[in-house]
Amino acid sequence: MFKKVWAIFMRDLKVNIRDFLSLYIFVVPLLFAIAINIFTPGINDTTVNLALLEGENPKQISYFKDFAKVEVFKDIDEIKKRVEGRDNLVAILPEGEKYYIMTQGNEPEGIVEYAKLLNTFFQLDVQIEDSNAEIFEFGRTVPPLKKLLVNTSILFISVLGGMLIALNIVEEKVDRTISAINLTPTSRRSFILGKSIIGLILPIYGSIAITWITGFKSVNFFQLLMIVFASTLLSLLIGFIEGINNEDFMNAAGSIKLLFLPLAASVVAIEILSDKWQKFFYWSPFYWAYKGNDIVLSQNGSWQQILMYSGIVLVICSIVYIFLAPKIRKGLE
Amino acid sequence: MITVKNLYHSYNKDDNFAVKDVSFEVKNGEIFGFLGPSGAGKSTTQGILTGLLKLQKGNVSVAGYDVKEIKQKMFNKIGMSFEQSNVYSKLTAKENLEFYRKLFDVETYKPEELLNLVGLEGKENIKAGEFSKGMKHRLTFARSMINNPELWFLDEPTTGLDPAIASQIKDIIKQKNANGVTIFLTTHNMFIADELCDRVAFIVDGEIKLIDSPKNLKLQYGDNLIDVEYINNGETIIETYSTVLEKDKKSLKNIIENYEIQTMHTKEATLEEIFIKVTGRELI
Repeated sequence: MFKKVWAIFMRDLKVNIRDFLSLYIFVVPLLFAIAINIFTPGINDTTVNLALLEGENPKQISYFKDFAKVEVFKDIDEIKKRVEGRDNLVAILPEGEKYYIMTQGNEPEGIVEYAKLLNTFFQLDVQIEDSNAEIFEFGRTVPPLKKLLVNTSILFISVLGGMLIALNIVEEKVDRTISAINLTPTSRRSFILGKSIIGLILPIYGSIAITWITGFKSVNFFQLLMIVFASTLLSLLIGFIEGINNEDFMNAAGSIKLLFLPLAASVVAIEILSDKWQKFFYWSPFYWAYKGNDIVLSQNGSWQQILMYSGIVLVICSIVYIFLAPKIRKGLE
Repeated sequence: MITVKNLYHSYNKDDNFAVKDVSFEVKNGEIFGFLGPSGAGKSTTQGILTGLLKLQKGNVSVAGYDVKEIKQKMFNKIGMSFEQSNVYSKLTAKENLEFYRKLFDVETYKPEELLNLVGLEGKENIKAGEFSKGMKHRLTFARSMINNPELWFLDEPTTGLDPAIASQIKDIIKQKNANGVTIFLTTHNMFIADELCDRVAFIVDGEIKLIDSPKNLKLQYGDNLIDVEYINNGETIIETYSTVLEKDKKSLKNIIENYEIQTMHTKEATLEEIFIKVTGRELI
């Protein structure tokens, strides 16, 4: 059975790699990740990056390391090159008894001011213990806009997994090959499993790629994949049904796009609407998947919460499956 | 190899049957022709035999398996060449066959062997989507042999092929049959049926009208005729006479004795003429 499932998956993969639309779908996660990085502040950007001369003042390096990300360089030329890089990095360099600050010129004012202050504190020998302020935090360790975009993109990619399945089923219909498959000792279950793999691989690879590229490298990937797996099941079901119901690639893709509506509504509900409106979105698996992804990306979710959110998504998907399974089976006859 | 008893099938599950009380048997090693016009019930019957359509009423056994509860293993024993080519257009000819051979549990042919057999050598690495209609048909035909089936369903195997390729396909069918493969041939082409089949069944409006060998049918239903071409007052006249009817015999004797005969041929009734005579329907 596994040999046949694998053969069906490999055939789909081969065809998808040769097809422009499918190939584009494969590249979408990477494009999303790059776009998010360009248009939102990075996680690392919340840290101030400083460049210092190696061996010039070890005490200063040690002091700065408590308050910023410090990079040391052998000479000024190397520092100059580094400062000209794309990210925000400020160099603090000695000039006689004093220091001067080297910048590219387009760094946020706050970062430059922070570097100046830090250097002043060092010269005045100010320590953390000297502060009389206490910190109260909301537990947010990443920029909310970036987290929202990454979370939404992960859900978006799960829908694309369904779209890929729909395209592959439509291809089978256009080429009239399902009847030929039905005359081989390949069970319908093997066929469905084989067809599903590509729809699962895309969200798995896509969510890992997006979180990695956008800097969420320290999230619990097992938790993330559990939510991704659960939320992708709905897309797979819709992918099969739309593939069966459509004779044309574009129509199938268009029908799948309808899934973006509950997806967008769920995100808007969680991010914008007040608590009293939330219950109206409990039916949407994307609502719970978004919540699950949110705590994974924030790195403050327990396994209990992840299992709860995944469980809710699975229950909703199971209800959808009960309705759609007979139609899928009949459609593949 | 195939036993069908009192088979009925209705697409709307009402009394409007596409196939009505059909019964027949196909013996091991024979070529059985299932002949009829479009909409006669050929494809419905074949669909039920191959498991593509669910058996509603009747008893059907194929290659030793009861079709009521089809076992996946049955498909290791059967092959099917579809009338309409159905291959993956984005895969090459070789990739198409490589993919299908992975779906069987029995020993399979190498794709190259089959492609050579159907005259597609040198086209292995061309995508099927770039093939002509005839080439796609040959690829579909080649695929149906990949598991070296014991029972081979052929649906209009030579339709749309040029005469040379059609002849090649017929030779393959004869060769396979000589090797013991049982063949269920569905066609409306009576010439192919006449040439290939050991026995034929005529099906019209979902009912089998008769089953016999082409030779017996010709003996039973065919009038032996003679086409004669002679000169009468400088004019060439062509006429057909029965060798059975007394009146025609006398006329023919008169022509032979009194006129200059140009050509004279005996003419055997074709299967198509017999079909029309028996069923009262044209083969469209």
